[in-house]
This record gives sequence, C-alpha cells and structure tokens, in this order.
Amino acid sequence: MGLDIIVGIKYVPNTTNVNIDPKTGTLVREGVPSVVNPHDLVAVELALRLRDRYGGSVTAISMAPPHAVAGLEHVLGMGVDRAILVSDRVFAGADTLATSYVLAKTIERIGRYDLIVMGQETIDSSTGHIGAQVASWLDLPYVYYAIEVEYTGDGFIVTRELEDRIEKYRLSKPALISAKMYSLEPRQVTLRDKLRAVLERPIETWSNKDLGLDPNCVGLRGSPTIVSKVEFTPKVPRKNIIFEGDLREAVRKLVQALVEEGVI
Amino acid sequence: MGDRFDVVVIGAGPAGSSAAYNLAKRGFKVALIERGRKPGSKNMFGGRVYAKPLEEAFDGLDKAPIHRWVVKERLSIVNGEEYVTLEYSGSGGKSFTTYLTDLTDWMASKAVDAGATLITEVVVDRLLIRDGRVAGIVSGSDELEADVVVDAEGVNRLVLEKSGLVERLTPRHVALGVKEVIKVEKGDIEKFFGLGEDEGLAWVFMGSVSDGLPGGGFFYTNRDSLSLGLVIYLEKAVEGMKRHIYDMVEDLRIGPLFSKYVENGRVMEYSAHMIPADPRAIRPPRLVWDGLLVTGDAAGLLINMGYTYRGVDTAAYSGMLAAKAIEEAEGDYSASSLKRYEEMLMKSYVGRDLEKFKGVHDLYMNPRLFKEYPILLTGLLRRLYEFDYGGYRLSEAFSEARRGLVSLPRIILDLLEVYRKL
Repeated sequence: MGLDIIVGIKYVPNTTNVNIDPKTGTLVREGVPSVVNPHDLVAVELALRLRDRYGGSVTAISMAPPHAVAGLEHVLGMGVDRAILVSDRVFAGADTLATSYVLAKTIERIGRYDLIVMGQETIDSSTGHIGAQVASWLDLPYVYYAIEVEYTGDGFIVTRELEDRIEKYRLSKPALISAKMYSLEPRQVTLRDKLRAVLERPIETWSNKDLGLDPNCVGLRGSPTIVSKVEFTPKVPRKNIIFEGDLREAVRKLVQALVEEGVI
Repeated sequence: MGDRFDVVVIGAGPAGSSAAYNLAKRGFKVALIERGRKPGSKNMFGGRVYAKPLEEAFDGLDKAPIHRWVVKERLSIVNGEEYVTLEYSGSGGKSFTTYLTDLTDWMASKAVDAGATLITEVVVDRLLIRDGRVAGIVSGSDELEADVVVDAEGVNRLVLEKSGLVERLTPRHVALGVKEVIKVEKGDIEKFFGLGEDEGLAWVFMGSVSDGLPGGGFFYTNRDSLSLGLVIYLEKAVEGMKRHIYDMVEDLRIGPLFSKYVENGRVMEYSAHMIPADPRAIRPPRLVWDGLLVTGDAAGLLINMGYTYRGVDTAAYSGMLAAKAIEEAEGDYSASSLKRYEEMLMKSYVGRDLEKFKGVHDLYMNPRLFKEYPILLTGLLRRLYEFDYGGYRLSEAFSEARRGLVSLPRIILDLLEVYRKL
C-alpha cells in the first residue's frame, strides 16, 4: 500500500534584489528569471523520499500563470510523477487566502491522497500562510517545521524541529505538513526523469472551468489583504573610507570610526 | 531507457543548437541536452555576432533577437589617461550586437520547432563507450543511447576530458573574459556615438587596461545597454597578475575611455567565462571519433583575428556542417565516414581563418604590445599635438618617445611580426 502525496510548489522570481512597484506595492516580476521556490524543493525532496520508501505517487500542484510549467518540469525532472498547473485569469492577484482556497479545491478534485507536503514559506513573500490555510480549508491535521515523516499505515509520525526542542506528533491520515527549510538537500534533476517530463508531459492544466469556483472567492476579488503601504529601508551612502597603516593601527581607527557612527 | 535517439547533442549553445536544428530539419530524432536552466544560461560572449554564417545555419535570422547592426568600429591603444583611437565608419550590416542568452534561446527554440527534444538542467557526465565507439551519453546513473553524438559542450570540455579524448586544459589554453552589462537611458547610445536607432558600435582596446598583460578589452552597444569587458590570457597572468580582474574592469568603467558613457548607467549583470586562447593548443587531436563529432568552442573554433573576435558564427557553422556530415554518412558513423565533417570544416571559412590567424596568439604573447608600445604611441602623439611654442618633427618626437623604452631594431622586428601575423 503506497502513499499518495501531493506537494505544492510556487514558481518565484529568482532574485534577492526584488523590485516593488511603488504604485501598487506588488512585486515587479517582469524580466526576472524564475525558479521553483527553494523551500518548496525541500518539500518535494521529502515527498520523493517518502514515495521511494513506501511506494505510491507524488503529484505536484501549482497555482500560477502558464510560464510556471517550467517549474513543474523541474520537479518532474526530480522524479515527481504527475503535475497539475492551476491557471486561470480569474485567479490572478490572489492573496494567501484566495490562493489557499484554490489549492484546497484543487486537492479536493484530485481526491485520493494520504499526505500533502508544502514548503515552509516562499522566498518572494515569506508569509508561511499557505500550509496552515489549506489544512484549515480541508480540515486536516497540520504540523509545520517538519524534518522527518514516518508512515504508520493509518497515519504518520512527524518529527518537528524547533529552535530549542524536537517534537514528535502522531497524525491520522490524510494530513498536511510543511517541511522545514534547509532540512533536506533537494536532489538534482536526472536525465531519465527530465526526458520523461519532456516526452510524456505528465502536466495537466486546470482552469476555473475545471474547478468551478465562485469568482468572488478567488483572485483579487477573493483577497481581503490590502497592501496599504510599502516602506523601503533608507539607502545609506557608502563612506568609502580606507583605513591605512599597519593592521593594528587600521583596526583601531576602524573601531573608533564605528563608535563615532554609533554602530558599536 | 526505452527512448532511443538517432543523435544526442551535448550542449544547447550556438554549436549544439545549430547541429540539433539542422539534424531535426533533416528528419533525425535528436536529443539536445543542456546543463543550464535554459539554453544560453551558461554561456557568454563579448557582444557581437557575424551574421552571414548564421544565416546559412538558421532560417529566419531576421526574427532573431538582434539589437544593433555594427556600423562603427573603434580600436584604441591605451596608456593610463591617454589613448589613441582609430575609428572606422562604414555601411555595416555584417555583424550585430545582441544578448547571447537570448540569441541562444532563439537558436534552441528553432531546433525544438524543427522537432528536436530539448532536455535542460541535465549534466552529461561522460560519453557512453561500447566496443570502442561512442554509443550515447551517461548522466548520473542514466544512459541515453544514440547512433551518433555531437559534442558541443563548450570551452570547458569536461566530457571529452573524462573520456580521455583531449588533454586537460591548462592556463596556456585559455583566457579569462569578464564582462559587465550596463543599462543606460534610452537614446543615450544614439547621442553618445552618433548612431541611428538600430546602429551599433564595436570597440576593442589594448594597453594599460590589462595592466600590461597579454589581453585587451571590448565594448559593444546593445539596444539600451553597453557591454564592457576584459580578456586576460592566463598563460602570462598566472604570474604577472597583480590584482583582481574585477578591479581592472572597475577601473575601466570609471576610467577616461568609458566613464562619460556609463556614469549614469547601472551595472545590471556581471559575468565571467573561459575563452579558448590558442586555437592550435586547444584543438583536439581530431574532431571525429567513431560515433562522435566535436563542434564549437570544444573544438577550439573561436578565432582571435587581432582586431576582432568571432566564435558564435563559427560555432553555429560547425554545428551545421556536423549535421550535414551526419546526413551524408548515411548511417555509417565510423570516424572514417565522419571525417567528412572535419574536411568540410577545414575547407570552409572557419578552417581557413583558423589557419590565417594562427599566428595571432604568438603575437599576443609579445609583452611589448601591451606595455611599451602603448607608451610609445601615446608619447609620440602627445609630443606632436601638445606644445606651447615650438613643436616636434615626427622623427624627433619618435626618437624621444622611444628613448629608454625599446630599441629601433626591436621595433622594426616587432612591426614585421605584426605585419606577418595579422
């Protein structure tokens, strides 16, 4: 008896130098190459390890514009069995609530699953909401910061790592967990799996025609979040001071300057 | 794996994409394997491509992401704050500037449209050798079989090295290229250089920019950005390099030649890459083995003509010839049958120019070219043009400028060598 696992991924701009549109307060994504959110790759790795250990299947889902197909191809290349891109104009502009609603409905439509794995958070927004919200919509037990999962046949023993302790939870199935970031090293794409992804294209695209959701509950209209203001950290010009002299002397001057600036 | 291909192409750069495109067009079942996230994500060039060979290798080049057609060429000899520039303005139309990443992506998309299977994010570890012939490729624990393999892996040809077909690269084989892409205001390029909307400038320079080491710099105008970079030949740099190359590039950007063009610009991208230095040293002993053809930079096809570089066109052209040779081999992919590729390549302009410009590398190893002569030339012109009352005669200025720098017979010999090798 294998495990049927669903893993959620987000395709995000691959940059730490994020540009924000000053008018709308939203991310400028144009011209920035995208990658699968690195924390989601940890979730994919965890899901693949569980499948490799217990058998079953891994299905990746992503709610995104069509270009995210490249992200799904990437995880298929890692060994994910099947992928579903949930893509529709009415889903655009969604906050975490509207997104988690669509993802939950997608998971319901998939129907058969034992476990859902998500990343801890995304590098482009870092809310960490989606896992908890999807679990709420689906009324599933939820554990986050998970580093280890053991399948017991009727449920899971999930190890959760916090700063000062490790906790173990017993969950009934189906369940939802968020994988702790950096807890696993995601595997590389392999030739065999990438070839299958390209030749067999096990990627389905579901639109709202398939899901039939109320347009008032999805996308911008279904999003109660309002970005009221975006404040940027002020740019401090560099002082361009070079402290010369022998090491001891230069360090003394440096420390003195830092004290004068109130830094230390 | 159940999937079998007629041809596996290693690397979706200009050479590999061209081979895949021309093979797929001829009905071959082709797998084009690329280690980067997408074609072009791992390669780099100075900034310009010669169009004609590319037109031959790919249909519909007019749809390619071309930025500007080069109509102005500049060559500068630099000595600190002083420089001497030679400018040529012509009708242009022979070469264009672009972002190689975009151009490569376009080339690979042509291959895919023609029916090739593009597999990205996959590193080819080595060749699959069976019964002494190349029978496919190996990646991790996966094998992919093919009747014939085209190696277009680029200058850092680890696949060929691991298969023992070429020697390991040493500093003698390669130069280091470092480049900044600097975004400027729309209209700036036209204003700065007196260019039309789709007209471009190519500028190469040498002298103190490379701290007197063999090498030089390049500058190209893209649509709304400038590419500025340095090439340092590693053979001499290993010992002679006194500081980080990025400091040298920074100096270039804020120095007298370019600061006025880039001061309001923003550095968008910084990249570095190995460049084949001496085509004779880097060229594999042969370009074909049983079941294998080597193309592009892996075959050492970048040509330094002394006053300009070309590598993208020669790569694409070699890919096209590889495809042609595979078709003509009619299923016999033995080295003797594929030899036709090497013959066609060496008879083409690629082989002819490789031969013609083979001496340029030796010339570049002459340190006076990068140190004494820039000082001499700028010193000469300074004396001719900058005076208060009485001026210099040319011969006076010359003998004063070269005093203690380099002897007259030496200059004559060096000039002769330049004349012979360029």
